[in-house]
Amino acid sequence: MPFSLTRRAALHEVSLVARQRAYPDCSRQPMLALAGSRRSKASLSGEADRKPNLSTQATSEPESPRHPRSVQALHLKPLKREAEHGIPSCDLQLRSYSLQPLDFFCDFALRAAYYLGLPAYGPVPLPRITQRWTVPRSHFIFKKSQENFERITLRRLIQIKDGNPETVQLWLAYLRKHQYYGIGMKANMWEFSELGGQSVTKQNTRQYETDINAAWPHLGQVKPLESALEADKVLNHRLSSEASGPR
Amino acid sequence: MSVPRSRMLDLMKAQCQVFATTYNPDGLRLGNKVLRQRLRGPALASYYPRKVATVKMMNQMFGMKVPKGTEENEETGSSDRSLATWDDAEEDRTTYVEELKARGKGNPKKKKEAVVKTKGFGKKKK
Amino acid sequence: MSHWRKKTLDIGCFVGSRTVRDHTKRLVFEQHEAERQALRYVIRNTSLPARARAEAQLQLQQMSNYTRPTQIRNRCTIGGHTRGVFRDFKMSRFNFRMQAMAGVLPGVKRASW
Repeated sequence: MPFSLTRRAALHEVSLVARQRAYPDCSRQPMLALAGSRRSKASLSGEADRKPNLSTQATSEPESPRHPRSVQALHLKPLKREAEHGIPSCDLQLRSYSLQPLDFFCDFALRAAYYLGLPAYGPVPLPRITQRWTVPRSHFIFKKSQENFERITLRRLIQIKDGNPETVQLWLAYLRKHQYYGIGMKANMWEFSELGGQSVTKQNTRQYETDINAAWPHLGQVKPLESALEADKVLNHRLSSEASGPR
Repeated sequence: MSVPRSRMLDLMKAQCQVFATTYNPDGLRLGNKVLRQRLRGPALASYYPRKVATVKMMNQMFGMKVPKGTEENEETGSSDRSLATWDDAEEDRTTYVEELKARGKGNPKKKKEAVVKTKGFGKKKK
Repeated sequence: MSHWRKKTLDIGCFVGSRTVRDHTKRLVFEQHEAERQALRYVIRNTSLPARARAEAQLQLQQMSNYTRPTQIRNRCTIGGHTRGVFRDFKMSRFNFRMQAMAGVLPGVKRASW
């Protein structure tokens, strides 16, 4: 029986799971930066989170099976991993003209980092960039009546500390694959290498060749369709019909 | 106690080797700044947006009417191979011109003979 | 100068004789930029013989005006106007205002503070 009392208790005794905080107002909403308030460093886990997550309704059995933990986690704030050494590995800056898609995508990036095992810190709000233009209202003379226009760029920074370079590249590629509209991204990466730079030797080139050849089959998102049956399957698949949208 | 020049030059050489810069102790004008400039040809050339497919273009290419009596429509009996769609901009323009004409504000008639202005009174017709 | 101009029109935005000319100049400059930079380098290199430098100077001076970057001017893509053109939008100030009020420009709004 998967939902037995003893098994549940044993789980909680052995490992201290960092309690995932719910968003305020119960409904899932992004954290809004209040105007004028100073933001503290990106919080990871405090003392309250290190206490075990003991359920008060341990005696009653659940009526229906619960959602998987990863689905339950979607309704709560994204989990974060702690970095052991704190050496920055990657700086990802996200820029947008609007707040909602930016916050949503930051959330997505943090969750992706957690599941890839990368300690992500953020999203740190960087200062806004305001561009202003003053333009005469008329197309000819009448310089004294002008109008002001502005364009505000909002920015967020997500930093990965102690990340394996390959994993970080995977994370960035994943984010690029699932790009969100209206958001621009730029990333700086740092990694450790040997002194004196890497010289091109026969051994090196052979290693690179094997690495590249291993990665070729995984390149590209679409597998080649070998027969008509396979093509039929793909065309009639639920995902492809959903992706094309309602008709 | 001043440092000999050769020592300073050696230091400069080492610095240039470390930071991958050019070693020029006498400060000669060798034109390297021109070589350092990045080429801005592609950025300037892509200033104007390139031509894209428009509805007008599509209508022109695929909106033809096939004349009767050809092989294609002998079987089907249709005289129209048009794949034209409605062109909003063109329709707006046409309705606007028609409105002006209805009001009597349309374009004036084009004069057949060119009119030449003379220095004195009146206009001479060429 | 017409031998530089392309036979088929490249541009999708506002088309006028001056805009076409400016576009042609940009394309020609892109083709000849490397040559121009090489000649400029030769002219400025004091370690080269004076004769070579003078020849390079003459050659650079004889190049067509369509190859010169100073002849290129940013024009409005909607009206073809050269004055009051914003680099961020490639539009003259009035067209920029019309488009901004229509809500076509992403992120641009009326400022008040």
